[in-house]
Amino acid sequence: MSTRPLVEYESVDKYFGETHVLREVDLAVEEQEVVVVVGPSGSGKSTLLRCANRLEEIQGGEIRIAGDPISGPDASVNRLRQQVGMVFQSFNLFPHMTATENVAVGPRKVKGVPESEATERADDLLDRVGLGDQTESYPAELSGGQQQRVAIARALAMDPHVMLFDEVTSALDPELVGEVLGVMKDLATEGMTMLTVTHEMGFAREVGDRIVLMSDGEVIEQGPPESFFEAPETERGERFLERLL
Amino acid sequence: MSETQYGRGDEPPSSPFLNDHRLKIIGITASVLFTLAVVGFLGVILYTQVNPSRFVNIIHPQFIDAFLVVLRIVAISSVLSVIGGVLVGLGRISETLPTRGIAKGYIEFFRGTPLLFQLIVIYSGIPAFWPPGQFPIANFSVPAAIIGLTLNHSAYIGEAIRGGVEAVPDGQMEAARSLGMSYAQAMREVVLPQAWRNALAAIGNDQVILVKDTSLLSVLAVPEIISTVQNINSATFDIWTPILWAAILYLAITVPLGKFVRYLEARADPTGGPR
Repeated sequence: MSTRPLVEYESVDKYFGETHVLREVDLAVEEQEVVVVVGPSGSGKSTLLRCANRLEEIQGGEIRIAGDPISGPDASVNRLRQQVGMVFQSFNLFPHMTATENVAVGPRKVKGVPESEATERADDLLDRVGLGDQTESYPAELSGGQQQRVAIARALAMDPHVMLFDEVTSALDPELVGEVLGVMKDLATEGMTMLTVTHEMGFAREVGDRIVLMSDGEVIEQGPPESFFEAPETERGERFLERLL
Repeated sequence: MSETQYGRGDEPPSSPFLNDHRLKIIGITASVLFTLAVVGFLGVILYTQVNPSRFVNIIHPQFIDAFLVVLRIVAISSVLSVIGGVLVGLGRISETLPTRGIAKGYIEFFRGTPLLFQLIVIYSGIPAFWPPGQFPIANFSVPAAIIGLTLNHSAYIGEAIRGGVEAVPDGQMEAARSLGMSYAQAMREVVLPQAWRNALAAIGNDQVILVKDTSLLSVLAVPEIISTVQNINSATFDIWTPILWAAILYLAITVPLGKFVRYLEARADPTGGPR
């Protein structure tokens, strides 16, 4: 292999108390690859993502980003998180800041970018997600779909190596899902490395380079979308797809 | 809900006790009666008890002095207790056990014992650390009052801040940390501004109580408003004239204070109010 994967999970174990939520998970995301994690509720998909920027700590194994272990003596959690953009199901925009301020606050406070520069860049990013006319709006004045697009712009503002999308359309009204998936699709086209948890199988099939099926904290199977959706290799994969129809 | 059960213009069967219409009538009647009672009571007292010429004369100079003393004590204790309260509140939510424990003990003590007791302990306790006659502050009553009010109200404000922080969804901290902010940065930029907004009403409430708590300072021989009432009462055997002044002077502080807090609330509200 010429280049190392950008994100590597190596036999990762994660417990919540007695519950074993990730069981020796191995997963690699190559640069510019879009990996879509699917699976039934409670299968550990979100936890898998949250471990990659240490919102959850793992109890066994190792996760590496660009070759560097994310936990351990030399690791800095704040530096790690600058390299990993995270978008949440519930948006989590800062309600006391305008759209521009939401996007600019990370670069300003974490990277020390001057306010005028950060603001200009924020407005560019908002324009890129189709919200160039809403820069002065507060989150409460925006629809769910618009809020989620601001959240994507906020994560992009830190120039991350990889973006994590944690069921980002699950809290949206059906008619607003499309605009958010559209932004994600554009990102994928531009070559962003993405690790995505979603229930949107249409998106998984169209945009995903690889589908990963999780169940009970384990990776059951993975492969390109065509083969996964047409002919899953495992019986659990078949059952998962049957339930979707 | 059950529109089909009634024809047009039919009244739904009224409940035996309350319906909206009756509730409204009761509300109006009660408020009118209440207003009449208060106005009547005050009117009779003003008409029969308050001597108009003395009402004007006694304002100077005792009440002015008392008012200014109270205003000064309130201004200083107010600022200090908000600062102290933020520190206590942050200690209360700290992830470090000793810090959290100390903040909790502080709140339990200062909220759990009477302010009067705390004032006496401070007033006679702090000078006891010096040899008799060596205490450097000649008149310790106003400083002791400020210390007591500050320590006491920091406890209440600390609880308000804690509640305000806990009302901020966990996702806010997660989102801020996910951008690479440190815990302190996330608190300062994201959580505390929202917690402050959540806590403002409770803090304003507490500050109004602080104003009224100055009436206890007579035990420290602070020449405050109520002791002035008593002085004038014992000199003139007139209670109603000075007590009316006392009411006016307290309201002269508390009403603008309430307005100021509402202004702060409006300003802290991201989508409305002045900015």
